[in-house]
Amino acid sequence: MEAVLKNLSSTAELLAVASQSGAVAQWDKQTLSRAFHWARYCEHISSRFHNNSAIKGIMEKQLQFTNQSLRAAFPGYTDISFSDLSCCQHLLLVGLLKNPELPISIMKILFDTTSPVNNQQSDYQDVTGFCSHIIQCKSARKVLSPLTDLSAVGADVEVQGAMLMERLAALLSQESEACRTEHFLDSVLQGGEGAAGHFCLVIAAALLTTKISAAQTASQGFLLDWLQKKHSVLQLMCSALPTTLLIDLAKGHLQFRAAYCDVLKKWASDMEYSMSEGEWVQPSTNRTVSFKRLTEHFLALFESCPSLREDVENDLNALNISDGDFDVKGLSVWGDLLSALNK
Amino acid sequence: MTVRLVCIRMSQLQPQNQLQQTSEPPLNVQELQFWLDKAAAWGQADSPDTRKDTCLHLSRLKDYLQLLLTHMNNMSSTTERMKTLPLLGQFLGRLCWNPYVTADATGRRLLLQCLWGLYSEHPGNALERKANQWIRKVLCQLATEEDDDAAALALMKRMGVSPKEYHLKVLKMMVALLQENIGKSCRSLVDLNQRCSCDNIRATSEACVPLVTCPEAALLIGALLQQPMTCVRAALSQDFLDALSSAYSSQCISLEEQAVVSLWYHNLSSLEDAVLSLLECVLTNTGSTPQELKQQLAQSLLPKACAQHCSIFLVANDIFRSFLKQTEGNESVKYLIQTFSSCFLRELARLQHKTSGSWKALFPQSPQSLLVPLLTRPSEMPREAWKHHLNWLSGSLQTLTEEEEEGDGDGSRSTRGHHKVFEAWFLLIQCAHWVQVAVWLLVTSDPEDCGPLLWLLTFYHHPTNRGHHRASQLVHAKEAWDHLHSLYSVSSCPLPVDRLQSLVTLLSPQPERPSLSPLFILNLLVNFAVFFQQSLSGSAEILQTVVNRSGLVNEAACVLRSLELRLNEDSCLSSDTNRVHLRINALQNTLTHMHAASDPAGNQAHAHINAQNQTAVSSSSTPPGSLQNDK
Repeated sequence: MEAVLKNLSSTAELLAVASQSGAVAQWDKQTLSRAFHWARYCEHISSRFHNNSAIKGIMEKQLQFTNQSLRAAFPGYTDISFSDLSCCQHLLLVGLLKNPELPISIMKILFDTTSPVNNQQSDYQDVTGFCSHIIQCKSARKVLSPLTDLSAVGADVEVQGAMLMERLAALLSQESEACRTEHFLDSVLQGGEGAAGHFCLVIAAALLTTKISAAQTASQGFLLDWLQKKHSVLQLMCSALPTTLLIDLAKGHLQFRAAYCDVLKKWASDMEYSMSEGEWVQPSTNRTVSFKRLTEHFLALFESCPSLREDVENDLNALNISDGDFDVKGLSVWGDLLSALNK
Repeated sequence: MTVRLVCIRMSQLQPQNQLQQTSEPPLNVQELQFWLDKAAAWGQADSPDTRKDTCLHLSRLKDYLQLLLTHMNNMSSTTERMKTLPLLGQFLGRLCWNPYVTADATGRRLLLQCLWGLYSEHPGNALERKANQWIRKVLCQLATEEDDDAAALALMKRMGVSPKEYHLKVLKMMVALLQENIGKSCRSLVDLNQRCSCDNIRATSEACVPLVTCPEAALLIGALLQQPMTCVRAALSQDFLDALSSAYSSQCISLEEQAVVSLWYHNLSSLEDAVLSLLECVLTNTGSTPQELKQQLAQSLLPKACAQHCSIFLVANDIFRSFLKQTEGNESVKYLIQTFSSCFLRELARLQHKTSGSWKALFPQSPQSLLVPLLTRPSEMPREAWKHHLNWLSGSLQTLTEEEEEGDGDGSRSTRGHHKVFEAWFLLIQCAHWVQVAVWLLVTSDPEDCGPLLWLLTFYHHPTNRGHHRASQLVHAKEAWDHLHSLYSVSSCPLPVDRLQSLVTLLSPQPERPSLSPLFILNLLVNFAVFFQQSLSGSAEILQTVVNRSGLVNEAACVLRSLELRLNEDSCLSSDTNRVHLRINALQNTLTHMHAASDPAGNQAHAHINAQNQTAVSSSSTPPGSLQNDK
């Protein structure tokens, strides 16, 4: 353990030197290879222990300690945390490429185009052509994306959904502390601006994965349960995602179908009739969906799940009756909804 | 079209004195403007039209980048380069953000090399310093900028997935999705009024133009090549096929065997290229052993491809035919064709296409009556029937040649007659297993039975009866056989000098008189040495003496090697074979010992033969015992 912590510190120092120090001017191919080797080592450590909160805590402390001294040594230093370790090679690369002291010979090695690509995840990976391969990959993606953009869920989102499932399965497979998995999902939501919206799409992709194993079914179940508790996320999903996706989700998961219906009804119940606009609208503080759109949601749902229609209409009817059962537009959102649905 | 290609390639086989470019084409600044405008247009909008245009121009753009690079290397400083080509920076900058250029291996390489060309190790002025900074910045952005994927990468970081890993996974997912789409042919559509999605195939193949060297796209490319192609709209883009073909022939990529076969099937020029490359390679590399040649042919995948698709075989055969005609029966070409045919027929048998009906499709130009008799292998026939079979073959061919000669008088028929005889001879070369049996049979024949066999072999070596020399050639052939027969029958030493001398004379052709191919006689000699019932020492002495005096030591060694190879390949484990092996080894040793002390007087004959035949590897003889397993 001691050795591992020491290695972590050393690599943090290495990253600092790579990005902040003129010492890189002395680097040669061997130094470069060794640096990337250490970065890979940290990535390995990160994946090995990210589920182990005790060890993770120790490592985090070590890193904070190292950060302190590095901050003192390098004015432009940015702290590195445990979560950064999974992208250690990337951090190293960015640091190096932004360092104006990096010898051009080193850059030429990184961007070398002659060596064949080595895709194996072996311990010895040649650092030659590291960047060339990245560029090839990114460019190939751009070239192929017009062809794959036709589906609602693109290849990129599918991959993210698959990774989410993998992570959930790994967390759930550890008997202890199921709430840690919840905590993990919560933390992803708080990822930053637009993170919640993006996450909705990924959740949808994860739930729509068809070729799944038993472990993945459990992950999907957990995800649905968590969604049930997160009304804001559900609402975001229902307003932001394309209808086709929502319908697929409703068809695939009864739990989601029920939740979807509930969201639609909640939206309806929050609506007020606006005289000026001659239409039912949501309160001005939270305008995400129009009455027309709401109707479309219901209609799409009925078309794909015909069995639902009767039940929903009964519910709406009951609500309309409780509102007085008047036949006049503008008095009960339920009545107006019913007539819109039955047009 | 094919014959023209053959002519072009033939001229290229000539010693390389011409075709060397002494200077590069001059740099045209307007051309740079043209390409800059193109690059700008491509970068502006991302529509199907711009994408198509990019793929269409990609190959020429790469050529232009190479030209630019050459010119840049001729200049001494960045300042000079920027002065001569002021638009260069802009141009390269735009190309950096064109994924078609950066995805393609050559495009990326050339682009990066151009960028390095603008970098100054020791910048001398502000311009050069600025250029250096710009280059570092662009490269950093290319490798690490993540604007498009910011949200995704942030999420992936929480999952413990690095950016590089993520990009790779997404690419693989895209390839898998596209592969799935290709699998769905339009035959599976339920509603025939529905438009099939086969246009995707064309668009996908076009998008793959810059990806032919991308390892992750290999499965997709393989799927594109091997899809059933039943729909009219499912045609592959020509640019794609060309790019694939050139990448494959310059060995930048390796394709799965079946993908290569499909490529040749779809793209005639790539097939022709492959056949001509093979010919070029084999015929310029005359030092290879028979074993090496066989390996080379197998590695080329052509025999396998020919066995799978009749159309591929017809094209390849056509090229061989042209070569044979052009080189006027060059021995190396003959040997190559023989070996190729034997590989091809073996592959065909493996695919179980044994019905005689298919022979006609594969050999439409050959005389139909000869097809089955020649293509049936000796191992498929009882040994006792061989002699009769060969007599029949000899007779049929004789009739054919006589018809041709009769037709010579009547102008209209003669070309057809010539054609028939040529095709018969071409087929005979391809079925040289019978020629080998004929040589073997001659060793054990009686004098009265030699006639047809000698005729067959004379025809094999001299298909045309130019100047009506065949009669005298047949006489010489009989003479040679007589000499050999009596030399080997005599068990006492010293050897009859007159016989020896006559044989040597026959083997050393004089330019003035029409001669029998020395290789014919040499082959006969070697077969006598190996198979005639004589003591090893006796046989060895005869062989040694004759070969030494006529200066054909190397050639004889070659014939022995071919014989050994045949024996190794088609070995049946009878003791007979082992004895023959030992005998061949012993004879080879004799020859090797002689090699050091070769007779300088015999070099004249040696040189003459080389001039005639370029390589001395002739058709080899096989002992019949080994042909039993010849499948």
